[in-house]
Amino acid sequence: MTVREFYDVIGGNYADTLSRFLSEERMKRFALKFEADPSFSDLCAALEAKDADEAFRAAHTLKGVCQNLGFDCLYRPAFRVTEILRSGDLNVGADMDELRTCYGVVMSAVRALRESDS
Amino acid sequence: MALDNTDVKQKILIADDSEINRALLIDILGDGFEFAEAADGVEAVDILQNGYADISLVLLDIHMPRLDGFGVLEAMNKRGWIDDTPVIIISADSDSDFAQRAYNLGVTDYIRRPFDAYVVRRRVQNTLMLYEKQKKLMGLVAEQVYELQKNNSMMINILSHIVEFQNEESGPHIQHIRIITEILLKGLCELYPRYQFSQAEIALIGTASALHDIGKVSIPSAILNKPGRLTPEEFAVMKTHSAIGASMLDVLPIYKDEPLVKTAYQICRWHHERYDGRGYPDGLKGDEIPIAAQVVSLADVYDALTSERVYKKAIPHKEAIRMIKNGECGAFNPILMNVLDKVADEIYGELHGATSESYDDDLRKITAEILQKNSISSSGRTVSLLERERKKYMFFASMSDEVMFELSYTPYLLTFLNGGGKRLGVSETIVPDPMNSGELHECCGEDKLKEISALLHAATPENSIIRCEGDIKIDGDVRHCKLVAQAMWSSGAEPELIGAIGKIYRAD
Repeated sequence: MTVREFYDVIGGNYADTLSRFLSEERMKRFALKFEADPSFSDLCAALEAKDADEAFRAAHTLKGVCQNLGFDCLYRPAFRVTEILRSGDLNVGADMDELRTCYGVVMSAVRALRESDS
Repeated sequence: MALDNTDVKQKILIADDSEINRALLIDILGDGFEFAEAADGVEAVDILQNGYADISLVLLDIHMPRLDGFGVLEAMNKRGWIDDTPVIIISADSDSDFAQRAYNLGVTDYIRRPFDAYVVRRRVQNTLMLYEKQKKLMGLVAEQVYELQKNNSMMINILSHIVEFQNEESGPHIQHIRIITEILLKGLCELYPRYQFSQAEIALIGTASALHDIGKVSIPSAILNKPGRLTPEEFAVMKTHSAIGASMLDVLPIYKDEPLVKTAYQICRWHHERYDGRGYPDGLKGDEIPIAAQVVSLADVYDALTSERVYKKAIPHKEAIRMIKNGECGAFNPILMNVLDKVADEIYGELHGATSESYDDDLRKITAEILQKNSISSSGRTVSLLERERKKYMFFASMSDEVMFELSYTPYLLTFLNGGGKRLGVSETIVPDPMNSGELHECCGEDKLKEISALLHAATPENSIIRCEGDIKIDGDVRHCKLVAQAMWSSGAEPELIGAIGKIYRAD
């Protein structure tokens, strides 16, 4: 799997990210790093515990990481969830569902990218 | 600092709760720098606390657990670190309230997500360069002020020496007047707070004092240098020198409105006025005589008395002071007599000990004042001195059997020195919101914390030491311990409790 294919699969913005990262090698390295990023599981745990502050921070971090990596598909629901949580509202319903789906897509693509490497 | 020595890499502190974001920034900025990483605000403050002089730049995220970016900025302001450590905020929030609040807290720049490698690199480099340049410029300005001041004083001195040369008076007279004038003015400000001259203003009056006798160029040298007593007619001619000197300055086509020339005008025209109104040329009385002229007049009389002239011997310092105070040499402002009393020894010391020029001294004072006004609290050298003090302190703390701590209220943090917290069962060096820390409750109980807090809030700047004792968990056991702490206050008219330093030790 090439980096371009990876971005196509996850609905990310390849061209913009490349223009910001200045190298495809860097894009790949950091896409692979996303697998170990804890912000999604932090967000799920905080929602479970009904901790709105912690959930906001985790969502905000996830949003920032996705924005940096150009994972637009995941950034969009993460943005909406962050804005809901910012007001202290834990009702993230449909947006959180979309976030979960997109996260699954990204994670399986990341694994494919890693495996195609070895 | 680091640009002066290319071997040393500048160190950048990256505070962001996302590991990926930190790694990305490090990757973008490359191996031209060293990095320190903090995953939240408490870690960031900890790193700065343990050697902020090493940090050339801080990249700061706003939303972080435990202590957010604003908390870090508040700590940096409180401790003065913000003055010479630039901070760039990294945030996706485009909220302008956020930006405004950050800029008000002394932030230099903003980097928005998503990161653009080129922009991040340039912003960081520009900020570092700007700070480096600012430091160099401050040095350059100081040098130029020094050169200008030196050249100005040199021209004025040459000019005045021409007058003296014609006057056949003693060479150092001009120098002496300047020194005495400045000492008197300084003493005046100290003794009478209604006189508020800055160092720069004092230096200006000192410089202007050199021109007090320029009018004498127009006095025939037969009168000027007559060894014997002047006839009433000759004295009448002699007396014209003050008004003539002033009008020489008044007809200057340009510089007339410059503070130096305005001050010199007052001094030239009125340095022979008397406080009782019986002087010349205008017979001004009391405070009608500008204070600069009054001071130079007194300096002139003192130096004339204590110097040797063709027609008289030098009078000893103490005798001269006595004669002046006794009203034998003119009538002066009583407050200046008090000032003279206070600074008489200093005048004697300066005139007899220090013959060297005091430009350096002036410059040092003026620079210090400028720095103070702009609240640039610490130059690089002070920072490294403080750094050394801190290391010394940490060393002694490590040798001590006591648990030492520092408490600050904004941000609300308790910091343990040299692993003291571990002995109390506290896992982190810095404890945010100590009153609600579970580990501290475990250690000494919530009531003890409340008691200590109440004692601190009951302390006053005059009575700022607090003590208490009780059983606490230390080194794994419950022991009887004592606590002594010094409450810390902000400076200013209404001191405010800002924190405390103290120690806990076993009493058994």
